[in-house]
Amino acid sequence: MTAAATAPVRQRLPRGTSAVPLSAVRLLRVELRRNAMPWVLPLIAALFWFDSYRPSTGTAQLYALRTFWNMGQGHTIIDFGPFVAGVAAWMGSRDGRRGLADLVTATARPRWAAQLATWAATAIWAVAAYLVFVGVMFAMYAHQGVGGTPPWWWVAVGVAAVTAFSAAGFAVGVYWPSRFAAAVAAFGGFLVMALSSQTGFKYSSGWAEILPTNSNGNFDLRDSGVFFPWLPDVPIARILFLAGIAVAALGLTGLRRRAGGPWLRCAAAVITLAGVASAGTGAGLASTARLSTYGMVIPALHGAANDAPIAYTPVCGRATGVPVCLNPAYRRWLPDMTAALAPVLAEVSGLPGAPVRATQVANVNAIGAGPPQRIALGGHPPVLRLSLGSFDMPGPCGFCDAPVGNDDFANQIRLFFVQAFVGMGNGSGSQVQQAVQAALLRGAGIPFAAQPKLAAVSTNGPESVPGPATGPVYAAARRFAAQPAAARHAWLAAHLAALRAGGLTPEELP
Amino acid sequence: MNIEITDLTRRFGRNQAVAGVSLEVGPGVFGLLGPNGAGKTSLLRMMATVIPPSSGRLRLLGRDPGTFGPRKEIRRRLGYLPQTLGYYPSFTVAEFVEYFALLKEMPPGQVPRAVAAAIDRVDLGGRARAKLRTLSGGMLRRVGIAQAIVNEPDLLLLDEPTAGLDPEQRVAFRTLLRDLGERASVVVSTHLVEDVGAACTEVALMDAGKIVFHGTPDELTARGEGTGAAGDAPLERGYSAVLAAARSAAVVA
Repeated sequence: MTAAATAPVRQRLPRGTSAVPLSAVRLLRVELRRNAMPWVLPLIAALFWFDSYRPSTGTAQLYALRTFWNMGQGHTIIDFGPFVAGVAAWMGSRDGRRGLADLVTATARPRWAAQLATWAATAIWAVAAYLVFVGVMFAMYAHQGVGGTPPWWWVAVGVAAVTAFSAAGFAVGVYWPSRFAAAVAAFGGFLVMALSSQTGFKYSSGWAEILPTNSNGNFDLRDSGVFFPWLPDVPIARILFLAGIAVAALGLTGLRRRAGGPWLRCAAAVITLAGVASAGTGAGLASTARLSTYGMVIPALHGAANDAPIAYTPVCGRATGVPVCLNPAYRRWLPDMTAALAPVLAEVSGLPGAPVRATQVANVNAIGAGPPQRIALGGHPPVLRLSLGSFDMPGPCGFCDAPVGNDDFANQIRLFFVQAFVGMGNGSGSQVQQAVQAALLRGAGIPFAAQPKLAAVSTNGPESVPGPATGPVYAAARRFAAQPAAARHAWLAAHLAALRAGGLTPEELP
Repeated sequence: MNIEITDLTRRFGRNQAVAGVSLEVGPGVFGLLGPNGAGKTSLLRMMATVIPPSSGRLRLLGRDPGTFGPRKEIRRRLGYLPQTLGYYPSFTVAEFVEYFALLKEMPPGQVPRAVAAAIDRVDLGGRARAKLRTLSGGMLRRVGIAQAIVNEPDLLLLDEPTAGLDPEQRVAFRTLLRDLGERASVVVSTHLVEDVGAACTEVALMDAGKIVFHGTPDELTARGEGTGAAGDAPLERGYSAVLAAARSAAVVA
């Protein structure tokens, strides 16, 4: 005791101002090196391959279609979320599980700060893996010639979702330091995603837009990223929501008595409230989303610049001498288009109302009007406007029973072209318009017997039951088709305006 | 004084683990002896700022650990080895010690050298890159000691530090303790009286949450002389005699 009583208390040297960030970096480095997340990544990679990538390759080569499944319906998040939550819970429960609670509590660095380093390492691994996996998937899409621009905003939503899952799982682990925490967090994550998906299928607007697996954002318009940019409105709201969840969950981990001093816990409380506010703001913004021409917009977030069309140089071919120009994202289908249009353009070639060129237009939502014409004819001189985004293009078509064949596609194009030419618009047209349509299609190589099915499928989908090619319309059509081509041309040249006005009867057909 | 304790108590529900302990400890090696359940670990946990006292006054390194700022400064200068050492199996020895050096907010520039020195002092230099899951219990105990001393603490609290060490390691550890005690206050809680006799300059004996003896090892040995108390060594007989006297006094009271 005597020696003890006289001994001085040693004073510590002041620390440098850069010491804290540098030591935090070193702490993070140790945590990154010994994090459990890399062990799970091969499993996530396999799941990602089979659940996110493989199914997407069954869709046409457009980003909006390729990413509908994995980004729009959130399968990349579903593949990552539960595992990330589980591993994060495992890391969050580490000190409690390993009996280190006393030892780490007796250190100077606030427990919360050290735990944030553990979480950060977990989140960095998870987010980096997400970005690498998505990057590889997009690189493969690019190699396969997928058209358009990738939905980067939706990638950002995925990053925010992975971060939120990591934070929520970590909080579960911190508050429940048990070996079962990981399993519970993973199952909870899976349950959340399942509920989100089911709710997303049920509700296509309102607050449900906030759910990361709800595809009713831009993904119902396949010309997003082709003719117009991917709208950032819904993604921004979702990022606010998911980031808010992440911040709130991390804030919660700082509220415990052992987390740090009173100021730190006050800061944690403020951060928790800020996270809740951010999540609430995101959900509130999403509930104001409404459908616009180019997808879902949120008035408070929407900027006019987001609607600016994407500039492009069209790729052109010729069908019966008529130039056919498409967006370069549709380049691979240019031969199919020219082949589809050639027979019907030949039927009307030389007529005063025949198109002088065909050009692709964007497939957009018709707000306050009926469905837009998929192929329209108008202007002086007449120009054929092709909304190819409303067609299933030849090749794989995702959720179809079978790939779209070249003939099926060509016949649909021919049907809608002729409908536009005779002035039927989106309606069923007059009997004489129907008769002329049937005769022109017959001239383009589609037999009368096949036409009712083509019309039914094109209008109502593959389950439609077609009627027989009989009745006064087909009788008139057969009569008109039997005329020499020169006679048909002459009649059409003389009566096209009246035909389009719907003022003729089948008996007036030659 | 590095440790000043006045009438300190700690309750866990109805159980009073520490019942009015008063103690002053300066630099040197201080042994804390006592049977199971005597309150040694609870007292050590309070000194380690892990749990707060229920009542009484505690000052460590001249500061009050009850307030945040001073507690943080105490923790920077504290080394602590709990009775049951948890560890991260996937960490290497060096990483584990580095991790705690960083948690103790050591200046980053000093960390690599301090980590290497601490590992060498517990004679694990050759296993610095070994994963903790591959080490024996005795080696893990030495890793625990290394993390406790990595910041060259002014106050070192060791709960059963020699448990699991073989005789050769225990001898080496006592030498290390004496070395550390020349500069810092080292409190060693142990069942093993021979550790106390070999390394400690002072000793306290706890029973039922109270200090029943406080003095030098020689004074404790003297308490056992001529009493016929049980024990193979003089210090053990002193230990037994003091405990027996304290318990009989408690029964009379």
